[in-house]
Amino acid sequence: MPHPLQVLTANRLQPGEVVYWNGSTGWVPRLADAQVFSGVEAEAALKAAAEWVRKGEVVAPYLFDVGMHQETIVPVKVREAIRAAGPSVRRDLGKQARNVSL
Amino acid sequence: MYRYDEFDSQLVRERAEQFRGQVARRLSGELTEDEFKPLRLMNGLYLQLHSYMLRIAIPYGTLSARQLRKLGDISRHYDRGYGHFTTRQNLQLHWAQLPRVPDALLELADVEMHCMQTSGNNVRNISADPFAGAAADEIEDPRILCEILRQWSTLHPEFSFLPRKFKICVIGTEEDRAALLIHDIAIKIVRNGAGEIGYRVYVGGGLGRTPYLAEEIGSFIEKRDILSFLEAIMRVYNEAGRRDNIWKARVKILVHQIGIEEMRRRVEAEFADIKKGATLELPAEELARIAAYFAPPAFAALPAESPEYEAQLREHRDFAQWAKTNVHAHKMPGYAIATISLKSIGKTPGDCSSEQMEALADIMDEFGQAEIRITHEQNMVLPHMRKADLYALWRKLVPLDLATPNHGLVTDIIACPGLDYCDLANARSIPVAQAIATRFCDLDRQHDLGELKIKISGCINACGHHHVGHIGILGVDRKGVENYQILLGGSGAEDASLGEILGPGFDQEGIVDAVENVIGTYTNLRQNGERFLDTYRRLGPQPFKERLYAR
Repeated sequence: MPHPLQVLTANRLQPGEVVYWNGSTGWVPRLADAQVFSGVEAEAALKAAAEWVRKGEVVAPYLFDVGMHQETIVPVKVREAIRAAGPSVRRDLGKQARNVSL
Repeated sequence: MYRYDEFDSQLVRERAEQFRGQVARRLSGELTEDEFKPLRLMNGLYLQLHSYMLRIAIPYGTLSARQLRKLGDISRHYDRGYGHFTTRQNLQLHWAQLPRVPDALLELADVEMHCMQTSGNNVRNISADPFAGAAADEIEDPRILCEILRQWSTLHPEFSFLPRKFKICVIGTEEDRAALLIHDIAIKIVRNGAGEIGYRVYVGGGLGRTPYLAEEIGSFIEKRDILSFLEAIMRVYNEAGRRDNIWKARVKILVHQIGIEEMRRRVEAEFADIKKGATLELPAEELARIAAYFAPPAFAALPAESPEYEAQLREHRDFAQWAKTNVHAHKMPGYAIATISLKSIGKTPGDCSSEQMEALADIMDEFGQAEIRITHEQNMVLPHMRKADLYALWRKLVPLDLATPNHGLVTDIIACPGLDYCDLANARSIPVAQAIATRFCDLDRQHDLGELKIKISGCINACGHHHVGHIGILGVDRKGVENYQILLGGSGAEDASLGEILGPGFDQEGIVDAVENVIGTYTNLRQNGERFLDTYRRLGPQPFKERLYAR
C-alpha cells in the first residue's frame, strides 16, 4: 500500500495562526504553499519540527493526509479544509477573508 | 448582584499579573509548551482550530450592564468583534492572541470577571436558573448558594486537581431551566415538612461519551451543612475517581460503577467525619452578608395587568408574537421576564456581536435593569421588566436583530461551536442549526409545532447537549466525512431523560430532511395538544424509525 501524501502543520505560538511547513521558506500561512511529503519524509519533517517548537516559533505540530487535485493540495478531512480557510459560517474571518489563495 | 470584596479583587488582579509573567516566560523560551499548557488552561486559554480561545466565566450566568459593556469592548479589541455564549453560561472568544491575553484578563478584572476554572480538572463555573430571583414558584434565589460555592471552590487547594472537571448547578424551583440533572452535582432548593429551606442534592450527572442523569444522594441537607456535604462528595470522588483513563474519570462513572447506595454510604461516612471537626458550618452572618447582594430590586407596587401592555399586544401583531414565546410570568404583579433570543434565523446560535452587547448594556441602563442573565440554551434574559415597558424594549431589540420570537420553539436550537472552531469536534454543528432554522422559519409552523428542543453537538463530548434534546443531533466523522446521528426523546427540563439513537446517520444535507421527516411523523401522530416529547414518549421510537428509514 503506497504511503499517503501528507502535509506538516502547526500553530504559530503568538497569534495561534495555522501554518504549514515549506522546506525552503519555513512556516507559511497558505496550504497551497505547503510541502507535500510521503512516508518516511513526513515522519522526518515532524521530528524536525520539534526544534521549531523548542525555539518558540510554533506549537502542536502534526501531519495530516492530503490528496492532489489538478496540482492543488486538497485535505482529505473537512477539518483541515476548515483550518486552512476559516469558519465555514463566517467567510469574513480567517484566511479566506484575507483572500489568501488556499 | 454580588460585588467583589478586597480579597476577590486582589485575587483576580494577582492572577492576571501572574499570567502575564507566565506568558512572558513562554515567549522568551524559559517555559516549554508542555510546561506552559497547564498554566494557560488554568486561565481558560485553549488552542483551538484557528487560534487561541479564551473562555470567560460568567458566574451563575449573571452580568451587570457594566460587565456586558466591557465584554463588548473586549470582544472588539481583543477578538474579532463578537463572542459566543455557551451552554455553560460562559462567553468564548475564538480569536485571542497569546501576548494580549494578560491585558484582556486585567480588563476583565476591572469589572470583577476572570477566566479561572473555565478549564482544567477543578470545579468549573457554577450555573443556575436564569430566572433566579424572578420566577413565581422560587423558594429561594439559587445564586446565593452559587456565590458561596464560587468562593468555596475558587482555588480550593484540595479540589484543584480532581480526576476530571466538575460541574455544579443550583436551582430553586420545580421547573428546571438549567438542565440540572446533567451536572456532576445538582442542587435543588426545597422545603421540608416543617417548612424549613434546605437542599436536595444529586450526584453523577453528565453527558459526553457515557451520559447519565444525576441521582439523589441527599434528600434534605440543612443549609448550614451544605459545604460539609459537598466536601464529603468531593473527597469520595477525589479519592476513588479514576485517574488512569480520561473517559472514565468523571464522578458519573464512579457513581455508576459502585452504585448510588454505596456512593451514599461513603459520602455519609465522610460527612459524619467532617462534621466531627465542625469546621465547615456556614456562619449565619456570612450567609446573610452574601444573601444581601441578591436581594430583589425595589419593585414598584403595580397592578397585575398593564392596560398599556395589553393594548400594545392587540395593536402590534409582531410584538404579540414575540411576547407569546419570549415573555414569561414574574413573581411580582405588573412585571415580566423577557428572553432575548440569540437565535436569529440563519445566524450562529449563541453568537453576540460587540455592538449587540454594548447596545444591550445601554438598554439595561435605560430600563433600569441591573442584571442580564445568560441561559444554558444560549439566550439572554432580562429578569425584571415592567410589563408596560415591554413594547419599548421590543422596539429597541428589533433593529439589533435581537427580537427573534422563537424561545422554546423549533428554531431555538442549541449548537456547540463544532468543527467550525473547535479542536475536538468531528463535524460542524452551526451550519446544521442554521439550515434547520431556515427550513422551519415560518412562524405559524413553529407555533403549530409548539415546544420542540433541538440540540446539536459536533462530537461525543456533547457541549451541545444532544442527549437531552427532544431531537438531538450528534455529528461524527465517518471516514473523513461529516455524518449526523439523530437521537429522540431527551429532555433537560424537570422531566429529564436521555435520548436514544434512532438509527444510521445522515450527511449534512440529509440531516435537515431527516429532522423534517421526524417532525412530520410527530404532526401525523400527535394527540390532544401533545408536545413532540409527549408523542415520542407515548409511542416510542418505532413509528419514527419506520418512517425515517422506509425504503
